[in-house]
Amino acid sequence: MIGTPDLEAIETLWKQGLEEAYTAYRPATTGLDGEDRHRVALAAALIEVALELQRLGRPAAAAPDLLRGDLCLARASRLLAETRDQRLQVSFARAIEERSAAAAAERPLGPARDRLLLAIADGR
Amino acid sequence: MAGDRIALQSTRPTEFMDLTGRLQRVIEKAGLLNGRVHLQALHTTLGLAMNENEPLLLADLEAMLRRLAPAEATYLHDDFSLRRAVPEDEPANGHAHARNLLLQPSLTLLVEDGELLVGRWQSVFAVELDGPRAREVAIQLEGEFAKGRPDRTRRLIELELERQLHADPEQVGDPMRRLVEAGGKRFRPFLVLLTARLGPDYDPLRAATLAAAVELIHAATLVHDDYVDESPQRRGRPTVAAAEGPARAIAVGDFYFAKATRLIAELGSPDVTSTIAVAMEAICRSQIDDLELRGRYPGDEADYLRVVRGKTAALIAAACVAGAQLSGASAEVVERVRRYGDAVGVAFQMTDDVVDFSDRSGKPMGQDIRERVLSLPLIYASEDEALGGEIQQLLAGPLPDRELRRVVELVGRSGALDRVNREATDLVQAALRELEGVDLDGVKATLAEIAESVVDRSA
Repeated sequence: MIGTPDLEAIETLWKQGLEEAYTAYRPATTGLDGEDRHRVALAAALIEVALELQRLGRPAAAAPDLLRGDLCLARASRLLAETRDQRLQVSFARAIEERSAAAAAERPLGPARDRLLLAIADGR
Repeated sequence: MAGDRIALQSTRPTEFMDLTGRLQRVIEKAGLLNGRVHLQALHTTLGLAMNENEPLLLADLEAMLRRLAPAEATYLHDDFSLRRAVPEDEPANGHAHARNLLLQPSLTLLVEDGELLVGRWQSVFAVELDGPRAREVAIQLEGEFAKGRPDRTRRLIELELERQLHADPEQVGDPMRRLVEAGGKRFRPFLVLLTARLGPDYDPLRAATLAAAVELIHAATLVHDDYVDESPQRRGRPTVAAAEGPARAIAVGDFYFAKATRLIAELGSPDVTSTIAVAMEAICRSQIDDLELRGRYPGDEADYLRVVRGKTAALIAAACVAGAQLSGASAEVVERVRRYGDAVGVAFQMTDDVVDFSDRSGKPMGQDIRERVLSLPLIYASEDEALGGEIQQLLAGPLPDRELRRVVELVGRSGALDRVNREATDLVQAALRELEGVDLDGVKATLAEIAESVVDRSA
């Protein structure tokens, strides 16, 4: 169950892909402590949804979607900070760096979910 | 050059009075960052010395002075029948004058980065030789004072930013480099480097990395903001969105959000990571609020403060806190600099708002109003009983030049600018109060100068 603070200002995204992404990342977080499982799966889902909202690698998103995407990225960063797990924080950051650099260079981007699952695996 | 006096009251015939702390405060008060401090005893029976402040050692030194120039020995100076024009209150103190030959009448000490340069065991003493008496030590300070930011710190920030941008892929690195090289106050990284000196674990290189990361976060928000605001220029150059297109601007912003997050995580301080992450969330949340508020412009004071606390003050306060946390500063110091940063951040934005109504701001007057940017003077003026109605009516329209000038004129007449200036000054005073009664180890004067400079911009 997702707590209200984690979805504040982005509640509508839950039914627009965030819930599905969260559910998809949960199995990859097996073995983490209970709270951290939730945090890491939600962080991954937020990043995936943010990159989709911002249309990274495609024509630019409209301003409101860009800002909602920024909030998703920032919230993911806060959730990862709460895990106090440096490896996971670095691993996720590198995934975003890679994808945004590729988007800026107009190189094709593979599926975000695959890359973020790899980030979870690398961070553990 | 600056001068001061240290007044002393000795309580014993011979007494070592430790001046080290008071000298540090004189240095902070004068804002001396790098240079020299000269001390001179203004009495012939008061000497100066540097030594260890250890009670038994001081007893040893006092005994040594007694041995080398005993009070019971014969001194011609004490035979008033041989001297001319002896004042009525002249003491028999030949021994004290003799002992003073063993000490120094003056000292010159070095100051680095706002701190008196003393070794671990060194203290600076005024040595009373004929007390108890009221005494005075004259001080002169020379060197580089905190009127502008110290060049060394500024260089450190620039070098670290350059280093961080150097190896990045050119599609993201080049646009960010152009933005960073175009200028900026470097307010936030400067605060990081200052507060990173407040704890026992100060490490200039780690502090520089954190400072650069904080500046990159700020720059990344500007890249996205400029796209949202459709701003054509930033710092006199085309914005990233204008020069590279919005799609690349989004990628550049995302890249540097992520890179900054990684640099901070790699520092391995979970508290610092959390502080910055919470601030980033506050910034992004308030940007959404800001955009939504444009639909009911100019909003009210509560809206304004909520947005400003997130958009501007959050990262300024986080810069102060994160620097202090990185150095292992005490919880009290961390909390003090957080409150300092919050107050300075809000005052900074309020003053920015006032500057928008000045023809000396360097940008077209009233530009913020035209772009529907939240503005406290405009909020106050639009609530004015006599003038508010006309302002609100004008704001509801498209604001061509003539109407914009009229809004600016009405805001000036309403007294709102003075009110915002007063409130910003009050906030700076609150920030300065946070610096009192806590050990800020040589950076207090610079933090105070930064706070005061925030409101000076509107003068």
